[in-house]
Amino acid sequence: MRGAVLNLMGVAAIGLLGLNHDSFTSAREEGFFYIPLAGVAAIAILASLVCSIAYLRTRNLRFDSAAVAATEAGLAFLAAAIVNGCCLTAYASGRFWSWDSALTSALVCWLLYAAYLMLRQSVDEITQRATYAAVWSIFAFLDIPLAVGAMSWWKPGVHIPTSWTLPRVVNLGALLLVAIVFAVVRMRQEELRRDIDSLRRSAQ
Amino acid sequence: MSAVAVDGVWKFYGDYPALRDIRLEAAPGTCLALIGRNGAGKTTLLRIIAGFSRPGRGQIRIFGNQPRETETRRQTGFIGHGISVYDELSALENLTLYGKLYGLPDPRRTAGEWLERTGLARVANGLVREFSRGMRQRLAVARAFLHDPKVLLLDEPFTALDDKAIAVLQGLLRDALAQGRTIVMSTHQLREALELASHVALLTRGQVAFHGARTPEMVDDPGYVYARYAD
Amino acid sequence: MRFARQVWVVAFKDLRAELRTKEAINSSLAFALVILLMFSYAFDPLADTTREMSGGLLWIVFAFAGTLVLNRSFARELPNDCLDGLIAAPVSGAALFLGKALANFLLVLAVQMVSLPVFGIFYNVPWTRQLPELLLVMVLGTWGLTIVGTVSSALTVNIRLRELMLPMLTYPIMFPALLGAMQLTAHLVGGNPIDEDHYGWLKMMIGFDVIYTGVSMVLVETILVG
Repeated sequence: MRGAVLNLMGVAAIGLLGLNHDSFTSAREEGFFYIPLAGVAAIAILASLVCSIAYLRTRNLRFDSAAVAATEAGLAFLAAAIVNGCCLTAYASGRFWSWDSALTSALVCWLLYAAYLMLRQSVDEITQRATYAAVWSIFAFLDIPLAVGAMSWWKPGVHIPTSWTLPRVVNLGALLLVAIVFAVVRMRQEELRRDIDSLRRSAQ
Repeated sequence: MSAVAVDGVWKFYGDYPALRDIRLEAAPGTCLALIGRNGAGKTTLLRIIAGFSRPGRGQIRIFGNQPRETETRRQTGFIGHGISVYDELSALENLTLYGKLYGLPDPRRTAGEWLERTGLARVANGLVREFSRGMRQRLAVARAFLHDPKVLLLDEPFTALDDKAIAVLQGLLRDALAQGRTIVMSTHQLREALELASHVALLTRGQVAFHGARTPEMVDDPGYVYARYAD
Repeated sequence: MRFARQVWVVAFKDLRAELRTKEAINSSLAFALVILLMFSYAFDPLADTTREMSGGLLWIVFAFAGTLVLNRSFARELPNDCLDGLIAAPVSGAALFLGKALANFLLVLAVQMVSLPVFGIFYNVPWTRQLPELLLVMVLGTWGLTIVGTVSSALTVNIRLRELMLPMLTYPIMFPALLGAMQLTAHLVGGNPIDEDHYGWLKMMIGFDVIYTGVSMVLVETILVG
């Protein structure tokens, strides 16, 4: 419960950060945070895939901890990117959602990885959970190019800026560092959880 | 070459080792009884030998091959806690199905023969759903023996069997041993198991506490092994 | 070929068991008809605009009703530990998976074949005009749904909240294929032939099916044995 609340606070903080900057300055059409947030999410998801494949090959549970940490960080940043994108859309067109193909793809990807987290929650045994999650991570990742392609065919065109300018790249660097901190903290939490589970089983 | 060789097997649940450095062997034509208290790891070990899950470390070799190889699976028969037959199919349909999956040349005929041997010929076309408990157990035994396996892996096979089923199973196991088959059996029913066993292994909290030939003391007093070797 | 025989043995076993009890197929069919009816409450079935988009609605019906069949897929192996029997048999995980997927495919397709004429009558659409193309789209879309659903069924067979997790896992993965199926079906059910614009969707659906069938066949052994 506390973990979920903290996570939500983290998402809200990032969302507010982007919102605040973009709303109250003349840069509000510029969207300094939208692309960087999505960029960090993409890097995190890629890291998650690499860790999942590494787990399946080595069966080292540290890779599983890294995979879930990266995915959760990615999801938090992706959620912030989507919220941010909605606000930018509102300023650009007066409505919160305009079926912009990039934003819709982001939403689909978010749902894909939310399912990953739900799957993890439903499996109690650690090794089984790691295996199922790693397999699902591969399925989900393969869907990303298909989903992005499908969304862009369906409603082509983006309504908010999506190019990489220097300020956005700098922000990407900053946010990436924040994401790494989140992920490392989460990874330590996962390792502790495993230790506790191990102790509990020894005591039985 | 041993029929079943367990070489340095560990099984982890997360970081917790449920099985630690298990080293066991069963020579061809012998019957190894795996005994131990609840939670010692007998079922876990047997399922790893049968290929249902992977060890965290170490290897299993059945006649020199991995458990998951097709040829190994063709030569192995397994009876677990469940009977592994379908309620919605008839006894004959179930055995014919397994006959086909195991690549038998004439699945239907072999299925019929095994129904005879387990005393189920009269109910061959009855749905398993309607069988009594003892009949279901006998069908499970028929399923395991159907493809003439060289290695039989049995997880507490005598538990919850009625007398007729116990007699059928003991008879089949004795015949199997006489034909040179290998049996690895985990059990609580010490008396029935020790009558058949040529070797005994005691598992305590995931480790092998004793592994050796069955002795007369064990048959006379089934609790002997626990008393002597368990903590 | 041995592999094909094994696939067929597994598929036939599932089909026979299902046709004897008819649990999944009856509830799936009933559910499909109920949703079709409910859609007509939400969207005026006589309006022209509804006719234009009704092809898309059809796939929502298929996806939801199909889940009832897919849920049973590996769940039917749970009683009596039948899954152990299948895993212990000298059948490759890929053959086991394809056999189950094939059985699911035929069952879901059967439900769709009954729903389609009913839909045609309710919404008064010329669905027979492009019938071969429509059937092709249904086959491609249903195969994708079946593959992803069968893998999800294998993943969720032993976990808590199985019935909730299966749709949660299947639908997001299915978004691209369902989108393609809906676009094509809406187009074809209105009596229009497939044109340049829509060829892309067809290719995408084929690509989706090929990719996910391949990946599933490779990974199913890991799911079942670990």
